[in-house]
Amino acid sequence: MNPKYRRLIVVILILSTLGLATKLILMALKDNIIYFYSPNDLKLKYGKIENIKNVIRVGGLVLEESVIIKGNKTIFEITDRTHQIKVSFDGSLPDLFREGQGIVVEGEFIDNKLIANQVLAKHDENYMPPEVADALMRNGVWQGGKKN
Amino acid sequence: MIAEIGHILLIITFVSSIIQVIFWFSSIGGKNRITLHILQKFSFANFIFILISFSTLLYSFIISDFSLSIVTNNSHSLKPLMYKISGVWGNHEGSLMLWILILSFFTYMISRNKVNMHFNLLSSIIGVQTIILFSFLTFILFTSNPFDRMDILPIDGKGLNPLLQDPGLAFHPPILYLGYVGMSVAFSFAVGALITGEINKEWGRQLRPWITIAWSSLTLGIALGSWWAYYELGWGGWWFWDPVENASFMPWLIATALLHSVRLLETRFILVSWTVLLAILGFSFSLLGTFIVRSGLLTSVHAFASDPSRGIFILIILAIATGVPLILYAIRSSSIFKEKKVEFDILSKESALLINNLFLCTATATVLIGTLYPLFLDAFNGEKISIGPAYYNATFAPIMAPVILIMAIAPSLSWGKYKTKQLLKKLIFIIIITILGGLSLSMIKGSTLFSIICGSLSIWLFSGVLIDFASQIRSNKIKINNIKSMFIFLSKNSFGMHVAHIGVAIFLAGVTGEQFYKTEFNGRKNIGDIINIGDKSLRFENISLENGPNYQSEIATFTLLKDNKTIEILKPEKRFYPVQQNQTTEAAILSDFLGDTYLVLGDGNKEIGWSIRLYYNPLVSWIWGGACFMALGGLISILQNRKSQTKIMLGNKV
Repeated sequence: MNPKYRRLIVVILILSTLGLATKLILMALKDNIIYFYSPNDLKLKYGKIENIKNVIRVGGLVLEESVIIKGNKTIFEITDRTHQIKVSFDGSLPDLFREGQGIVVEGEFIDNKLIANQVLAKHDENYMPPEVADALMRNGVWQGGKKN
Repeated sequence: MIAEIGHILLIITFVSSIIQVIFWFSSIGGKNRITLHILQKFSFANFIFILISFSTLLYSFIISDFSLSIVTNNSHSLKPLMYKISGVWGNHEGSLMLWILILSFFTYMISRNKVNMHFNLLSSIIGVQTIILFSFLTFILFTSNPFDRMDILPIDGKGLNPLLQDPGLAFHPPILYLGYVGMSVAFSFAVGALITGEINKEWGRQLRPWITIAWSSLTLGIALGSWWAYYELGWGGWWFWDPVENASFMPWLIATALLHSVRLLETRFILVSWTVLLAILGFSFSLLGTFIVRSGLLTSVHAFASDPSRGIFILIILAIATGVPLILYAIRSSSIFKEKKVEFDILSKESALLINNLFLCTATATVLIGTLYPLFLDAFNGEKISIGPAYYNATFAPIMAPVILIMAIAPSLSWGKYKTKQLLKKLIFIIIITILGGLSLSMIKGSTLFSIICGSLSIWLFSGVLIDFASQIRSNKIKINNIKSMFIFLSKNSFGMHVAHIGVAIFLAGVTGEQFYKTEFNGRKNIGDIINIGDKSLRFENISLENGPNYQSEIATFTLLKDNKTIEILKPEKRFYPVQQNQTTEAAILSDFLGDTYLVLGDGNKEIGWSIRLYYNPLVSWIWGGACFMALGGLISILQNRKSQTKIMLGNKV
């Protein structure tokens, strides 16, 4: 085969693969990003909870004495010590879930309640999810934990 | 006293590594072998010194010397011996010690190569390896000294994070590090070639076993980590597209691409400058991985306490290790890499390997973007986002599908020329088998379009590899019952590659089963209740409290029944570790060839019942089985390579 022709094919192949990949990445980034907020950020950004339509992540501390277990459902509040958000979760909680613990919750708002599909608490109890730490520090609640 | 010896040996190695690097720099391009001889001696000494230093650390862990802060923070006198040992690398300082131990060992192994390489190239490779060693020694001695003493002697240690007290995770870091450090060898080969201009087919032949070792170890290391996450975290999943997982997966993808491009280089001497570039990037990705894991900049489900200041140090190493070679590459590559014009058809092994590289690198880019995009967005406008599996399913999966398609046919293609008849015949076979397989898949309950596509890809690959293997046996006229001739045939031909590719097919079958045919129960149950799953049922018998060596546990007993007959007693467990005030979940898993029954005990008490999760994961063990086959294939091809190497004589210039 003519080398020039072959080179042309190679270039076209590379460009079309990269083009396709870029297209896929852009599409995926548009649809599959989940934004993270603290309860206070949510208030500032959206005002009312009714305005929030998409899946989001909320991080903060599990409010003390807010955890209620009803059958398989756990209802609790998550706080950054400025605002609280009601969360309902249907499923098994992670080992490190407890009152006062920093956690991240992912889900959608239905009837002013965050219906969580995921509750994340970390392996290490000294560990605070960076977003939660950040949000809490901005509110002056948490000054940074010990690092080992 | 013992620990001080280790510390002093590290300092000596640090100083001597500076001397070696200066000595090597001043003699680049020299005309005699003296530099090489001296560097060889030095790399042996480095290895021995680091080995002794590492042993002193190991010894301190075994005798529980709590005057060392690393031992106090990561060990406990009551811990089983195995976890005292794995505690050495279960923390930041110790894991760096393991890093340099493997690095110095590999450098010593390279330096023993006497015949096949130009002495200037070899001394440059050792020189670059020593620079890497020097950087990590600096890192250890100035920011993460494992031999730091405590001011006050504590009564006992704080113990190792209970999640890490596990056989799967005890061996995960060392094996993964073999892979990371193996990529540094490829890096040094590349930089050595850029400095000396000595690159030829033999360069590729010498490098390939190292990449194969790195690749096999990465495969095993990642599989072990994923297996651990599967049974220990109790989430039922095996891969979460988490930054820490991606951190090891990206070097693996680059290593896979490199493994294939080096094959092109050593047989046809094309794609030379691309291979050198990949070799540099492979190591950069390994460092990037270390940076992501250690800096704690990205939110990860696997994140442990981390220290940003250490992250910055790794970032500096990363910047230098990527920047300097790339500048060197920009200046030198056009004058060094003079490829011969090699003719090949569109349907040839060459094109298949080119496409393999194109797609693997594009796939790496999608993973890289998904991993780092949240970081950029945060730095750019302070928005915090996370990118989950949905992104990767939409980008990574469609890009990898063509790789699988080609993987089944590529081994049947020949170098350079396209031979229609042979290929067509095989292709018809493969297509028929795949269509039959796909059709029978669509009969299974719960099948979707994607499950059929994924499963068919696996069948496609299975049949492609097996047909190529069978045709090789036929064309070589091998009798299968003649063990000796079969053995010779297997040791000469592409048996290693076939095994690795079959591994990919097994892996894909496992992914299909786990992703698309999984059944799940999630709810609160009390003693005496029965849960039905598939054709089996599970009876909650009782719950009891017991004491383990360093934990207390709550153990539930379940009976798994099929047609009212007991198949198995399952005992999921929740453990509480008083030393760390930490709780872990031990899933009860009944694993067999066709699938896993996976049972997790959640929180609860006698009044409200316990929260129970139950999964049936079909074919899930094939995921790790497939990975083992891949790694095994790599090891077989290293052995084959060694055998054929003894016959090949060197040619320094092409």
